[in-house]
Amino acid sequence: MHHRTFAALLLLSACLAGCSVFQPPQPWEKGLLAKPEMTLGGDALEQRFDQHILNSKEAAAGGSGVGGGGCGCN
Amino acid sequence: MAATDGSNSRSRVWGSITLAAIALPGVMTAHAEEPPEKGLIAFKYLQYKDSQAVDTKYPFYDGSEGNRLDRITVKAPSLYVLAPIGRWSIEGSGVVDEVSGATPRYYSDVSGATKSPGMEDKRKAGDLKLTRYFERGAIALGAAHSTENDYKSTAVSLEGRWASEDKNTTWNLGIANTRDAINPVNEIVVDETKRTNEITLGVTQALSPRDIAQFSLTHSMGRGYFDDPYKLYDHRPRKRDINVGMLRWNHHFESLSASVRSSYRYYSDSFGIRAHTFETAWVQPVMSDFTVTPSVRYYTQNAAKFYFDPVVDTAIYPGPVGNPQFSSADQRLSAFGGVTAGLKFELRLGTWVTDLKVERYQQRSSWRIGGNGSPGVDVFDATILQVGLGTSF
Repeated sequence: MHHRTFAALLLLSACLAGCSVFQPPQPWEKGLLAKPEMTLGGDALEQRFDQHILNSKEAAAGGSGVGGGGCGCN
Repeated sequence: MAATDGSNSRSRVWGSITLAAIALPGVMTAHAEEPPEKGLIAFKYLQYKDSQAVDTKYPFYDGSEGNRLDRITVKAPSLYVLAPIGRWSIEGSGVVDEVSGATPRYYSDVSGATKSPGMEDKRKAGDLKLTRYFERGAIALGAAHSTENDYKSTAVSLEGRWASEDKNTTWNLGIANTRDAINPVNEIVVDETKRTNEITLGVTQALSPRDIAQFSLTHSMGRGYFDDPYKLYDHRPRKRDINVGMLRWNHHFESLSASVRSSYRYYSDSFGIRAHTFETAWVQPVMSDFTVTPSVRYYTQNAAKFYFDPVVDTAIYPGPVGNPQFSSADQRLSAFGGVTAGLKFELRLGTWVTDLKVERYQQRSSWRIGGNGSPGVDVFDATILQVGLGTSF
């Protein structure tokens, strides 16, 4: 990974966690985050299906977990 | 990647469809440290079909190629089951992929593709995952296996998740090992292997009552046979190291009762490939039980350092100039951009949920951003259809 890109991603991540414009939710404020469509990865299995199709047509793959098993698709 | 046609098996392309076939709504929960309250059983049927334009006049083009090549068709029924058992859960899936069709053996040159009716292939695969939940964390052990005529793969994985006291921050660490055995039907190699070790580290942060984000880094180390045995002049390094950075962000609009899901992925590997992926989807409830989700995705990559462009000289084509140690004319390793547009409908009726998703995908050299696309590769199209039905118990 290019170091500049990597650093930018880390910086962005730090901003996400520490940026003062956001107010992390209290326990009673998490109803919206519990909606299925707000789940990260969403419908995770469907996401995996989409990813596997695209992984077989593009050089890049991964980033959404490990251990899905190998294939000759790339 | 079994094939009945030894001259050009493209079943490997679809080997990885297995786990994808179990995709169904609402399987995953937002709170990873909480065991699922209900079990789930779900069926999904997938259909995929791709084709390409025949515009490029390769050196041996004779005018009989037509203007379009229908390539691969995949049909994949699958079943998924999730069962909670106290502080444990077990989930598993199985799928059968039926693949047929043909693809070129170099670039998008149809003179190198298998003639009608092409190859046929069937792949069977399954996976299991056992998860133990704790008050602020979970540990999951997984295994996956797939088998075809000429390609077998076995993977094991271990993942841990830990949440902060307020459960607004969750860290996750995962490792996996995959072992593949490769015996192509053309016997260009025998008993080849590939081993891959992966590690991923991520953090998920609830930013506000309406925002949640996740950042993860994944490193993969692969050693072994990476060639495509069904393509000509395909000799790749036996080492492929990969780094991936992924950022996801979901936001909910209360005024519209809608959610927007976005992600960016940066990819780099030791083949010299750098790729960027942007994706977003708008989840819009239309009625209380009916949801419509349009989505769009953009992808761009440069070419692998050993990919070579078509040579006009018929004394050389389709090979590379000289005798390089590594080479490939696989269009998937060329420089291009790709766009996917999708539309999903989801209907919930009591404990049942059914969904329909249609996607169109197109790949063009000219859509690459950050440089020129590879010359001499035709436009590639695909249509993807998913139909699902599931219920909780």
